[in-house]
Formats: sequence, structure tokens, C-alpha cells
Amino acid sequence: MCEKRRSYLLRTHGQAIQRSAGGFPLRPQQRRPPTAPFQPQRSPNPLPFLSFDVNSAAASTSFSSAPHFPSTAVAGGIGAAGFDDEPPLLEELGINTKQIYQKTLSILNPIRVNHHLHEDADLSGPFLFLIAFGLFQLLAGKLHFGIILGWMTMASMFLYVIFNMLAGRNGNLDMYKCLSLLGYCMLPIVMLSVLSLFVPRGGYVIMALTGVLVIWATRVCTRLVVELANCGDEHARLIEYACFLIYMLFSMLVVF
Amino acid sequence: MYEEFKSHEIANVLYATGSDILTAYGEKNINISRYMCVNNPRYYFQVNDEYVKNKLKLILFPFLHKGRWMRAMEDDSSSFKSAMHDINAPDLYIPLMAFVTYVLLAAFFLVLCFCRFSPESIGVQFSTGLMCWLMQVLLLEGTLHSLGGGGGSGEIILVPLLDVVSYAGYTFVGAAVVMAVRVSPHPVRWAHLMFCGATLWESFCMGVLLVKIVKRILVFEVPIFDKQMYSTNKRNYVLLFVAAAQFPQLFWLGNVH
Repeated sequence: MCEKRRSYLLRTHGQAIQRSAGGFPLRPQQRRPPTAPFQPQRSPNPLPFLSFDVNSAAASTSFSSAPHFPSTAVAGGIGAAGFDDEPPLLEELGINTKQIYQKTLSILNPIRVNHHLHEDADLSGPFLFLIAFGLFQLLAGKLHFGIILGWMTMASMFLYVIFNMLAGRNGNLDMYKCLSLLGYCMLPIVMLSVLSLFVPRGGYVIMALTGVLVIWATRVCTRLVVELANCGDEHARLIEYACFLIYMLFSMLVVF
Repeated sequence: MYEEFKSHEIANVLYATGSDILTAYGEKNINISRYMCVNNPRYYFQVNDEYVKNKLKLILFPFLHKGRWMRAMEDDSSSFKSAMHDINAPDLYIPLMAFVTYVLLAAFFLVLCFCRFSPESIGVQFSTGLMCWLMQVLLLEGTLHSLGGGGGSGEIILVPLLDVVSYAGYTFVGAAVVMAVRVSPHPVRWAHLMFCGATLWESFCMGVLLVKIVKRILVFEVPIFDKQMYSTNKRNYVLLFVAAAQFPQLFWLGNVH
């Protein structure tokens, strides 16, 4: 009888063996009803200490004795909305993933370029591409992050000066758009760096691939620049050569 | 409005530099009305495809040029015609592109022949090229000053700085051709010969080009009554010196190591 009771008590783990005041283990009939481990009252706000809610002032009843910040002390900011009503992080940062995806897809077609997508420039897509480029270079054993950043800056300043000088007073390519376009058109170069990991270095295959991908990048970049900024039509070949030089420079980083 | 301002920023900086140089010469009696375009660097970028093609032909084979070497004036004689209408006008697009092409080809050559590439080598080539450009500018400026400064009237030849920069930058077209020759696949035992041959040829072409340009500037700038004041002998020696100075320059540019 005693062993049965003890084993029963021991099997129900997580519960202390309940003893009476005299220290003897209680019988099952006398056992006090099990209580769950102490839990705070569930409130809609997961962190009731930091409850700034105006409406749920009574939510944190278990901690009602704790100091409870008055809502008037909070000015704007997180404010009256609470965590549930805040905009998602990416939206707050201005990173529109759907737009980045669409822009990337539009670059993949070298023949027909859809320039309407690129009218509002953003830098998060180029940033993604450049980080990916740096990572693939790292996989090849070359640490080029700083070089990519510096060369990208210089290349966009170069293209900015050349385009605005050629286009005259009507050229309205601003630096932000220039950097954004150059960055998006880096996609073929990123692909080149991926392919160069699998292809023997210095061979004919990689040279041919470089040629194709650089020409692709040049064409797309020129088309976008010419269509997005005014007065680029009559200087298309001149701008094409400038873009060609820029992408050739980056492809040298990959190949050598 | 902001975009307009931004696109003028670089023009403003160059404008300020240009006007500083002009005011430095302000006390001399100089007719600068023709050079009002110096304040506008956009003048040097008013090019089109046709101009670029023809100018490259002119730079690479200057002795084949059948036309005149004088720059055309606008209809109201107020300023020179822009590059789109005049093959002899200077521009900055060709020198810039040729410079970048030269740097790229030099880096390419370094990799092919020495199997040693680092991104820093591009920076080194860039600095070397800039130094060479500067030396050409100094050479041309020195020539113009020494040939034009003679005489008691105190008139000096004023050529806008950007003009001289652009003439000096045409060297890089020759340098890019030399590097292209070195980079192109050819039998190894002829490599040195081809390099020397290409460099000699290009130096000769550059020499002819620069001499013709300087002569044209002198003819245009120096007034008639000053022609007796300096000897043509001195002028010829100085021009010969300019042409001869192209040889070591191109050898230096081509000798990438």
C-alpha cells in the first residue's frame, strides 16, 4: 500500500510530494488539488511591465501593484498604437521586397527593358547585389568588399558627370538614380562571379562568358539611363561606351 | 529646382576655377571675349558620334587630314563653334574615355604578362596616367608662354586651361592604342618589336598633331605686328622639342610593370 502511494506520487513529476503539517505524505484523498506553477495573468500585451496602453489599463492585474506608466507621459513615438499596430520593419525602412524582385526580373531580359519600374530609385536592391557580389568573391578567396564600395562610388560619379555634361542643361539624372541604376545592372556581373566559381580560371570559357555578360549589363544600363533621363537619345553610343568601361572594370575583379 | 542645382554643381566648381584664372590675367591687355565659353565646361562635352569618329581618325592619322586646322567661329564671331559643328574644336569626352581605356588595358596587360593582378595596381596606373597628363599640360603651357610672351607689349597668349587639358589628353588615345597592341595576341618573339614599333608610330603621330595645334594657336593669337618680334628659328626649335618630348612620354606610358 505504501509503495503504491509513493510510486504514484513519484510518477506525477513536477509536483512536490505533498506532506501534511506533520511531515507525513498525505493520502490521495487528502491531497490538495494540484495547482499549476505560478503564472502571471495572461494579458493581450506580452510585456505587461511596459504596458503603455491607454485602453488596457486594467490588463495587468497581477502586476497592478507595480508602477504603471501613465499614458500622458508618453509622447507620440510608440505611443498609443502598441506593437500590434506598428508598420512592419521592412516597410518602415523603405525596403519594398516586391519591387526589388520585380526590378530584378526586369533586368533579366536584355532585349526589352521596362523602364517604368525603375522610375523610383531605391538603394536596397543594389545593396543586396553588392553584398552578394562581395560574398561570392569571398567564396573565391578574395576580400573585395571595400574595393567594391569604393569603385561603385567612383563609377557612379563618373557616369553622373559624363551624362549630365553630355545631355546639357536638360539632363536630369541625379546621383541617387544613377547609383540605383548602376547597382541594379550589376546583376550580370554577380552572375559572372557565381559562374567563375565553377569554371577554370583564365580559360576561354570564362572570357567568353565575361564578354557576353558585360555586354548584357552595358545594354541594359544604357537603355535605362537613356529612357529615364531626358535628352539621352542622341548620345546613346557615347554613354554605352562609358557604361562598358565601368562594367569591364568590375568584371576584371571577378576574372582575375 | 534641387535637381537643377545639383546638375550645375560641378559646372559651378569649374566655373569658379575658370574665372579665377581669368582674373589673374586681368591686368594685361587681353582680348578674351572669344573665350567666354571657358566658363562653361559643358562646351567641351557637346559632342556627337560623328565628331568622335572623325576626331579619332584625326588623332591617329593627323598627316592625312585634308581640311583646315583653324577653328571655326560662330556666325557673330563671338565665340568658337562647338565640337558638333567643328572638327578642330577641343573636347573633353575623348581624353577622359581614352584615359580610362588606357588604365583598363594597362591592368589587363599586367595580368596577362605577369599574372599579377591586384586592385591596387589599377590605382597605381591611374596615378601614373594622371601625372603624365599633368606633364603634358605643363609642356604645352610652357611652350605657349615661351613662344607668345616675347615682345614688350606684354601680350601673352591666353588659351583656356581646359583647352590645353583636352589637347594634352589626346595623348591617351595613342597610349591606349599602344596598350591594345601589347595586349593583343601575337607571337612572343615579336612582342618587343611590336611594342617599339607601335610606340614610335604613335609618338610620331602625336608629335605631328600637337605641333599643328600649337602652330594654329600661335597663328591665331599673336597679332600680325608681333610676327617680326620673335624669330621663326626659335619657334621651330620649340615645336621640335614638343614633338620630340612625345617619344619618352609614350614609352613611359607604355612601359607598364
